[in-house]
Amino acid sequence: MLLSDLLDAPVRAPSGDPLGYVVDVRLVLDGPLDGGLLVQPRVHGLIISPRTGSSFLGYERSDVRSPAVLARWLRWRHRGTFLVHWEHVATADADAVVLADGYRRWSPAFPEGAHRHV
Amino acid sequence: MSPRVRRSALPHDPSATLPLGPRPAGRVLDARLHLLDRQTLDADEVPVATVDDLELVPPAGTSGPLVGDTPVHVAALLSGPVLATRVFGGRPPASRLHRILWRHVADVGTTVRLGVRGQDLDVLWVERWVRDHVIGRIPGGRHAPE
Repeated sequence: MLLSDLLDAPVRAPSGDPLGYVVDVRLVLDGPLDGGLLVQPRVHGLIISPRTGSSFLGYERSDVRSPAVLARWLRWRHRGTFLVHWEHVATADADAVVLADGYRRWSPAFPEGAHRHV
Repeated sequence: MSPRVRRSALPHDPSATLPLGPRPAGRVLDARLHLLDRQTLDADEVPVATVDDLELVPPAGTSGPLVGDTPVHVAALLSGPVLATRVFGGRPPASRLHRILWRHVADVGTTVRLGVRGQDLDVLWVERWVRDHVIGRIPGGRHAPE
């Protein structure tokens, strides 16, 4: 499967209620080394927003505050964005992502410093 | 206007403050934010291609749609002619997407650095073909300008 199949796919709750769209896929470098220099990234979760466009700037996930007007507007536009862990995904294909019963919403913010080397 | 779900139709309160989840053990990257459209540089810092897509693979022996019970890993970066399909929809055939295996990635920063030389990768076969069959046949095309 390709990442582009998942991006912008509609997301539904187990009850069938629409939750939004996949705007990004969060990866964690904790997979096997596979003979390379970096360990393989594992899919950690999906970032889900009520709307699809413009989230590539990531303001709703970072603590970047400038330019102030743009940051405030984009953060407001993507309010309600959340992270759901991969274990709480029932099925995921290009048509739709369905979450599992008891799924939990987490803040989409980056853990502090986690996008740098640890 | 991009597709959206009306916030009033959501089964939860979209303005609720959500807790920060447990911090993962490894480095965290968001695929679209940190990888897509990034320039890849080879071991000699020569630009190779841009990251147009990622190949996600479930464990060997599983098939069908991805499910949350099984871990999914990134196996390769993909590069190909995606401009038209991004504008008009769809995606290029798999044969037009070239893979750069993740094991060749040395670091991810502003650019994606590879640990191999670009001329050993399939993704540059068009450049090599043009160099050998077109540029190389032009008088003076096989050496640097003097």
